[in-house]
Amino acid sequence: MLAGLGASYGTAAVYATRYLYPARPRAKAWMYVARVADIAPGGSLNYTTPGGEKVAIARQAQSGTVDDFVALSSTCPHLGCQVHWESQNERFFCPCHNGTFDKSGKGTGGPPGDAGQSLPRYPLKSEGGLLYIEVPTESLEVADASPPRDGHDPCLGPHLGDGARV
Amino acid sequence: MSLEFKRGVIAFLSALFLVSLIFVQWREVTRREAESGRSKAHISVPASSKACVDCHTQSTPGLVAHWEGSKHAERGVGCLECHQAQKGEIDGFDHYGLHIATVVTPNDCARCHAEIAGEFGGSHHAKAANILNSLDNLLAEVVEGHRGPIDPHSPTPGRAFTHANGMASVNTGCQQCHGSKVGLVSSDGGMLTVDDFKPGPDGVPTNLDAVAKVVKDQNGKPKFHSSTWPNTGIGRINLDGSLGSCSACHSRHDFSPRRARQPENCGKCHLGPDHPQKEIYEESKHGVAFRDLHAEMNLDGDSWVLGKDYTAAPTCASCHMSGNIRNGGRITHDPGERISWTNRPPVSLAMDTDLEHRVVTETDPEKRRALVADTWEAKRTRMQEVCSVCHSAEYVNNFYKQYDDFVVLFNEKFAKPGQKIMKALLDNGLRTKAEFDEEVEWTWYLLWHHEGRRARHGASMMAPDYAHWHGMFEVAERFYMELLPQVREMCAHAKEDGMAAEADNVLAVVDEILARPEHQWYERDVNELKAKRAAEQNAEKK
Amino acid sequence: MFSLQAWIRERVPVGPEQLRELTNEPVPNHLKKWWWCLGGTPAYLFVVQIVTGILLAFYYKPAPQTAYESVRYITEEASFGWFIRGLHKWAATLMVAAVVLHQMRVYFTGAYRKPRELNWLVGMCLLLLTLVVGFTGYSLVYEQLSYWGATVGANITDSVPVVGVYMKQLLLGGEVYNDNTLSRFFILHAAVLPVTMAALIALHVTLIRLQGVTEFHFKDEDPKKAKFFNFFPEHLLTELSIGLVLMILLSVLATVLPAEMGPKADPLTTPEVIKPEWFFYVAFRWLKLFTGTLAVLSMGLVVFLMYAWPFIDAQIRKWRPNSEASVWIGIAGALAIIALTVWEASVAH
Repeated sequence: MLAGLGASYGTAAVYATRYLYPARPRAKAWMYVARVADIAPGGSLNYTTPGGEKVAIARQAQSGTVDDFVALSSTCPHLGCQVHWESQNERFFCPCHNGTFDKSGKGTGGPPGDAGQSLPRYPLKSEGGLLYIEVPTESLEVADASPPRDGHDPCLGPHLGDGARV
Repeated sequence: MSLEFKRGVIAFLSALFLVSLIFVQWREVTRREAESGRSKAHISVPASSKACVDCHTQSTPGLVAHWEGSKHAERGVGCLECHQAQKGEIDGFDHYGLHIATVVTPNDCARCHAEIAGEFGGSHHAKAANILNSLDNLLAEVVEGHRGPIDPHSPTPGRAFTHANGMASVNTGCQQCHGSKVGLVSSDGGMLTVDDFKPGPDGVPTNLDAVAKVVKDQNGKPKFHSSTWPNTGIGRINLDGSLGSCSACHSRHDFSPRRARQPENCGKCHLGPDHPQKEIYEESKHGVAFRDLHAEMNLDGDSWVLGKDYTAAPTCASCHMSGNIRNGGRITHDPGERISWTNRPPVSLAMDTDLEHRVVTETDPEKRRALVADTWEAKRTRMQEVCSVCHSAEYVNNFYKQYDDFVVLFNEKFAKPGQKIMKALLDNGLRTKAEFDEEVEWTWYLLWHHEGRRARHGASMMAPDYAHWHGMFEVAERFYMELLPQVREMCAHAKEDGMAAEADNVLAVVDEILARPEHQWYERDVNELKAKRAAEQNAEKK
Repeated sequence: MFSLQAWIRERVPVGPEQLRELTNEPVPNHLKKWWWCLGGTPAYLFVVQIVTGILLAFYYKPAPQTAYESVRYITEEASFGWFIRGLHKWAATLMVAAVVLHQMRVYFTGAYRKPRELNWLVGMCLLLLTLVVGFTGYSLVYEQLSYWGATVGANITDSVPVVGVYMKQLLLGGEVYNDNTLSRFFILHAAVLPVTMAALIALHVTLIRLQGVTEFHFKDEDPKKAKFFNFFPEHLLTELSIGLVLMILLSVLATVLPAEMGPKADPLTTPEVIKPEWFFYVAFRWLKLFTGTLAVLSMGLVVFLMYAWPFIDAQIRKWRPNSEASVWIGIAGALAIIALTVWEASVAH
């Protein structure tokens, strides 16, 4: 009897736990970045994910394959804060625990430096001469920080009326 | 009820509860399975286009919704990737911090789809706007419309028109299929096109005088000439010098392959009295099967190779453009690559093409061999690869024999004779050089351009009714009952007007044609009757 | 093991003996028959509602912009979300049914009579609270019927004389359904009302313990046999069985007739057919029969009479000791309720 009760109510409890556990992993997608030919060896570009995260993509070789490229995440491998580039110090800096990284993303100081951690890299692939990056497509909505725009309000709709002339 | 019994009852009920929970688990699993295939692809707006999408979701929500259904949206290709303009491009303008252009040309698409753009550029499709100076153009510009403004001859109550565009029929009729020459409004009131801007290979204009004349609105956006834009004609002549419009078939802004694979897509232009390809297809077994088995066509498939991804029916795209298992799945954006007869001109020509993909008309065999880059046989082989996915070699070869016989019959019995008679009329001064000012010119035009094409297209795509009743039957009626009587009447009038010698020349041509075995039936009995009557009259006189 | 028991015993000076004493209420023999155990059923369902309700609250977002989407997420995306929501919905329905059946049993067996009048009052409060919890819960889904149900409900309060207008504003947090309304309903449904109910249920059970369960005697009983049996373990096992039967029933209902999503609330369009949950059909029909204030006041009077019934009944019995009036009135009332419910259920408007 006790076993039966334990098994049935236990199963119900397992279902409840499964319900509380996230239903699916974070959504990711392969996003178009640029044409491979657009980035010269030694060059780099800044890509912004749909969620707003900044990714530095650099080309380090000339073979023409995807292995030429690295895409550095700005998420610190220590405890997940966002690093930013300090141009005067030529390093990425993490404000949470003073972690620092060099240009290539290698940890140089603070907890990541001590643990020998580097900034994580995003997966890249190239198809038909086009470079794609796999990035998360969801993030918490951030308030729109873009400044107010000048000129006419584009959201008011197309300006009909001046096309009616013959 | 003993305690033991109660315990047993509880154990039994627990088991039953467990069973019901297992049922719940099963439902959860089937639900997940059902959803996994159905869930819509996740759309993520690339950061560079976020501002565009935010505003245009309000100003043009339908446009954004279409884009959201596109493969582009799934793969992070946003507004800017296609609409960005380089500095100096004539139609580029600043739009909230971005330099963009309204019209996306094949050059823009080629930034990612270079190979496809190349194939398309070589196709007859890309040159579709080269109908200027053709008969059809003359019809729309002069016969239907007027090369210049039309002044109203009486008022239109409620509307105050000062003048109307005489080329309206060209703009909305011809050019929406063939393509316009995109024009900007000039400060002198006229229109500036690629001919004025003379763009270099990079698409940037070289004639700065013309650039200075472009009229812009208060936001710095150049104004398009309303007669040339909007336009998605397939051979559109763009401001950057490129030819064509990819959105003619790949409708913006979802660029749906699914739609491009279906006959309705081609049917925007390939239908009607002069080239009813879509109706012909619908009459054919191919079209009938497509309509029935639409759901089995795998139209949404990422890959769409005939024989691998679908076999239910072929569409226009299947035979003329898409990949099949026989050609390794190779897609072409030049639909002419698999066509072995061109049935467009009055007399069908074998599709031997030169390096520029033009049909070679040279008759001298030696010179011809030197010019031909791609033979009609090579083209036919490519089409036969498609056929052979479903049909045996004998079946395919015999079909092509039937088709060839039909084309040659039309060419020899009606087209070449018609051409010869029309030339004789012109050479002998019985008709003027101006087209469509004499009845016989309309007759001849209807014969080859409408009925003759219908017949040949019907034969090429297995539509018996178009081959015969809408085709050869009407060709024959037009030839015997209109063309020949009209020519004879013209000759009779010419004789009255003192042009007896010229009229006899033309009649000699007609007689030579009618003496051919295939035409002898036409006046044999009449002639016999006439001869009999003449003999009787002679006898009476005697 | 032993040392652990001793360790606990030192700090919690209650032994198994006392616990047994505390729980081992003598249970009258008639409760060996399960159909006399309806009082435990709503209590069990109340626990189910607390558990599933807490689970649902993990994902539910009580704001007009997010509510519907979060319920959709629970129903369509979260693992087993549809099942938890189905359990919650069906347990609510069964709870209303169980409370009503329990009350009818108490009524027809006269178990509300002296000295148990106060417990009848507590029970009446629990009945009304169950209905109000059902109403507020239904409104949280933010589908069309939730929205318009809440609107209509709030406007019914409006027709109460003098205080109605203030009550409505208090309920909606404004003159009409607005941004603040949904969070109000949520707090009422998920915190205020359940806590009140838990306290009242505790009071209800305490009063039963203090006064003992009403005994019934049947003619075919052996007078020499013991009149009581032990709560533990005998009666507990009965309640466990009932609990399991309820769980099976709920699982099957939640799977076969799952809670679905109606169209999202549209404050500008009232649906053609608008109905509350079935347990409000009586009131809904009543409101259509008598308009406005009259309907509300007459309904208030009926509720007042239900509250006061133990005292009215006492007066009647003082006057005519052998009167069977309560039974006939009860039958008439039950028939009236059934008739009004069936009437409402069978017509569109």
